[in-house]
Amino acid sequence: MGSGNDLASAATPASRLSRWLSLDAARLAVGGVLIAATASLPFWPGVNSYFVALAVRALIFIALGQAWNVIAGLGGQLSLGNGVFFGIGAYGTAILFTQVDITPWIGALLSVGLAALAAIVMGAATLRFRGVYFALATVVISLGFERLTRHFVDFTGGDAGFSEPFLGTSLWAMQSRGPTPFLMLSLGVVVGFYLLTRVLLVSSFGLQLQAVRDEEAAAASGVNVFHIKIMGLVLSAVMTALVGAIYVQFYLVIDPTAAFGLMQEIQIQLPALIGGLGTGGGPVIGGAFMIFVSELTNWLASGLSVHGLDVLAFGVLLLVVVLRAPHGVLGTFTRRPRASTNQ
Amino acid sequence: MSQPALQVHDVTKTFGGLTALRDVSFSIPDGAIVGLIGPNGAGKSTLFEVVSGNLPPSKGRVQLYGQDITTQPAHVRRRAGLCRTFQKVRLFDNLTVEQNVSVAACCCAPTGGNWRREMATVLDQMRLAPLAGRLPAQLTLADRKRVEIARAIAGHCRVLMLDESLSGLTHEEADEVVSEIVALNRTRGTTIVFVEHVMPIVARLAQRLIVLHYGAVLADGLPADVVYDPNVVAAYLGSKWGDLAWRS
Repeated sequence: MGSGNDLASAATPASRLSRWLSLDAARLAVGGVLIAATASLPFWPGVNSYFVALAVRALIFIALGQAWNVIAGLGGQLSLGNGVFFGIGAYGTAILFTQVDITPWIGALLSVGLAALAAIVMGAATLRFRGVYFALATVVISLGFERLTRHFVDFTGGDAGFSEPFLGTSLWAMQSRGPTPFLMLSLGVVVGFYLLTRVLLVSSFGLQLQAVRDEEAAAASGVNVFHIKIMGLVLSAVMTALVGAIYVQFYLVIDPTAAFGLMQEIQIQLPALIGGLGTGGGPVIGGAFMIFVSELTNWLASGLSVHGLDVLAFGVLLLVVVLRAPHGVLGTFTRRPRASTNQ
Repeated sequence: MSQPALQVHDVTKTFGGLTALRDVSFSIPDGAIVGLIGPNGAGKSTLFEVVSGNLPPSKGRVQLYGQDITTQPAHVRRRAGLCRTFQKVRLFDNLTVEQNVSVAACCCAPTGGNWRREMATVLDQMRLAPLAGRLPAQLTLADRKRVEIARAIAGHCRVLMLDESLSGLTHEEADEVVSEIVALNRTRGTTIVFVEHVMPIVARLAQRLIVLHYGAVLADGLPADVVYDPNVVAAYLGSKWGDLAWRS
């Protein structure tokens, strides 16, 4: 970490940054190829809007997984309430745009701020619980939000959800006839979240966030455990709400099940669980794989006329990951082997 | 005369009907190496938990260099210089050796201090630099214990409490760790309070011994006096230890 002062002084800021983030040549090359391939997807022969929209959906779920990975993968806090922040981001942006005429760019920022406040309140109420008790407390809050949005029909649209009017392609309205602008936007968000995760893996705050898994040992190292957990949840909430805003501008509709439902809570977790908890690339691999499985099962379900095949597939996938690859795809292939110890 | 490093005043800790600590009082001078011994269940670990802030005392006060820290949370005590290890090594398993030490260095380094430099200094001092990039699961028990000590002293450590840091080690490994503890005391002036069951090591390391028995202080004094105390011999050491402990 602190070696090579001569080399460091001769290096450019960009190379120093990539070294600090442990972005070696292989990671940079793979990342560059993936970014270029995704950004050029609309121009590939044979690729229509459906495939581009599918890529946007995958990127949205990857970003949701990256956001959940901050509090659960790095911080070790099994939040089942990130749907609350997703819903606040989506409903907030849509309601501000439709009823107050605030552009979604500003509405998204306001909703993100609201999600941060919600995370502080939610964290203050739940983060003193440990393990499964914290998970249960957060899922109860999420399901509570689902009931509230169904109840206040005039404000949220109730069971039917809240729809935005489509105004055509408009930068001010953050709307587009084609999915390509959203592909670029969500790709930028995913790349930004990836870099943020790399920073968290090596920064002072990130190290403290990773330490709070063992609260007593963290406190004995000087970590203000409760404060760091709250900060981690706020960061995760801000990221999740931002994705919620993009989601609602892309689909132009949000409903209680899509925002706060139990299935949504599970889908938010799957990218990081499948790809590798607490890693930078895990949610990216997991999210892409998840959408692939989802499309495959949808295709099979329509062919076989079997409903709910995707839920079954996700359930089986989760079981396989938990039982056979608890460190996810990335963790299984990159985790350093255990040396023998005398303990 | 300088301020005592650590003072414990009439500390009592009860768990329901069980009294784990009963009116425990002692004062540890700055720069001393003090051993805390007693049979299993005597209250040594509970005392560590109370002093380090993981458990609140039912009664009594704890002072660090004259400042009352009884109600302060554990992380505030750590930042004030009260550091500890655990009976069962508790490293952050997902972090490398240098990251484990960095957690404490970045939280406890003096304001404006460079925590990365502090981390590198501590790794060098504990001779852990070659293992900096390894995960705890890749280390031997002795190295894991040394990493835990390194994490405990990183940043700002004035009083170091070691909870059985030598148990499970071979003689050679224990000797190395003892040397490092003595070096910490001499070079950094760190006050050491340790719990240990291996009597030859206790004899070699301690300048003073406090004996706990059924949650109360049974004896407190120079090692040579304490191990021949009839009450201590009867309660803990056994008759043969009075002779054997100091010959080893």
